[in-house]
Amino acid sequence: MRWMAPLAFAVVLFALTLRTAFIEPLIVIGVAALALVVVGLLLPWRWPFVAAACLFLTGHALALWGMDAPVDVPGGLGFGLALLFLLHSAHAGRAMRGASVGARVLREQIVGWVRFAVVALLAAMLAMGLAAPLSGVLPAALAPLLAAASALGVVTAVILAARRVGR
Amino acid sequence: MTWRVTPLALSLLTVVGWIVSLAVLTARADLLVVAVPLALGLATLARRAALPDYTLVRRFSRDRLLEGESVTVEVEVTARSTIPLMELLDPLTEEGAVITGKPRAVLAIPQGETARWSYEIRYPIRGIHDLGVVIARVHDRWGVRTWERRHVEQSRIRVHPRTAPLRSLPRPLRTQTSVGDYVSPLFGEGIEPGDIREFVPGDRVRQVNWRASLRLGTLYVTQHHRERNADVVLMLDTLAQVGTPLFTTLDAGVRAASSLAAAYLARKDRVGLVIYGGLIDWVRPGSGPSHHHRLADSLLRADVVFTYVAKDLKLVPPRVLPARAFVIALTPLLDRRFTQAVLDLIARGFDVAVLVVSPVDLVRASLGPAPIDQLACRLWTLERRARLADLRRHGLPVVEWDPATSLEAAVAGLDRRRHRAVLTR
Repeated sequence: MRWMAPLAFAVVLFALTLRTAFIEPLIVIGVAALALVVVGLLLPWRWPFVAAACLFLTGHALALWGMDAPVDVPGGLGFGLALLFLLHSAHAGRAMRGASVGARVLREQIVGWVRFAVVALLAAMLAMGLAAPLSGVLPAALAPLLAAASALGVVTAVILAARRVGR
Repeated sequence: MTWRVTPLALSLLTVVGWIVSLAVLTARADLLVVAVPLALGLATLARRAALPDYTLVRRFSRDRLLEGESVTVEVEVTARSTIPLMELLDPLTEEGAVITGKPRAVLAIPQGETARWSYEIRYPIRGIHDLGVVIARVHDRWGVRTWERRHVEQSRIRVHPRTAPLRSLPRPLRTQTSVGDYVSPLFGEGIEPGDIREFVPGDRVRQVNWRASLRLGTLYVTQHHRERNADVVLMLDTLAQVGTPLFTTLDAGVRAASSLAAAYLARKDRVGLVIYGGLIDWVRPGSGPSHHHRLADSLLRADVVFTYVAKDLKLVPPRVLPARAFVIALTPLLDRRFTQAVLDLIARGFDVAVLVVSPVDLVRASLGPAPIDQLACRLWTLERRARLADLRRHGLPVVEWDPATSLEAAVAGLDRRRHRAVLTR
């Protein structure tokens, strides 16, 4: 579980990027991200996983931008879930390093992931359903203000979280 | 129980920030959809989570063991609320080595169920080991929040020194009044025949020696020697020690003391203990298996406490060092204050024997094969031999024991030396 789950999610992320655009620069970025995942599994560091996630994201964004691909909400949602599960499985794997792992741990993790994927899918569908009528109601001039408020919210959340981070 | 936000939450925030930046840079709003699951994971932080409810019980297969033996530790966690992921850590002491299982565990326990985790620890050296702490860290479903608690309880494992079986022991010169295994020079009740004398009223008929009576023409009775026990006081030198961290002269001395105590107690003698060092500790002479536990517990605590103060045996109560007691001193002869204390005991009329735990071989084992080290060890050996010869000239029965060899052979040598020393005196 400590090895298989992060590697599997990393491969899924790589495949999702290549599905959008199968070009050499993206393969290089994907392979570098996979290498970082392996480094994170071998060494007791957390940053290789975060760096790998950011690299996968960069590759995915470049693929969407370079190919001028159409909007794909399920694809984006799948990519986000794979990213989350990569980071979560790396976090759980770190706790399992050098420990005896109970029989139920793997089952509980998989059940949790499946349950969360279903909830995220439902939430996305609800958000898409609400977004269509709202886009007609909200004036376009409010969009930058909304973006700025969102960015401020993210920065505040980062600061609050960083102050309470454990190990 | 304290809760914290985990580094995973920070990682998620970083990635969400990166997604927003990329969405702005590439002008692709659909990238924000990627951030939705991560944001949902983070959103669980906003929810007020209930404290994990569980009970943790720790059991040991036994709480007393001998050096080199192992103890199985079983931890049982019963969850009253669902525990998605729980880390358990036993911060072991350096002396213990895990031989089966691991001192860390990760468990997932549904509500109302019980999970167990066990491991086996081997203790190669004597001591009292505190195993009272287990650190438990419970993660929430998404690993963005943890609760940590230290479970502290009074649980100690006592690792007693291993005892070597001893068949031949130094015989005490003087016996006490209780019944024991030694043939006393005094006559009385016993089975060892000593002399015959004329019958006097009050003698029992079964004591009549018929063969002598018929030959001498009058009634004679057989007198028997009494069988008595002795008081043996073990005096352990804890002023200094040398050796490797896992095995020192003090450890060897403690093993020898434990072996001697077990052997003398098996002979119905009363055994006492004086730990002579920076701190003087003692156990009054007593007998029986429970007394062996008392002695062993005291030996477990024996440790070197450095001091410049010369300790006086006058501090030791007379009940601990009774008259007519046989004192066996166990020392590496590294501190002259102990030699002085032994000479003081001889001057006070005690029957004393000294078992010297040789430190040279222990030190040699910790040094490399460099010629200069070997030369130093040889010179030290010569110096110690001269010192032992000097002590013998003072009438002190001294035998050197290399801890790598049998204790029984050294103890037998001690008896021979004592008889020679008594004759010299």
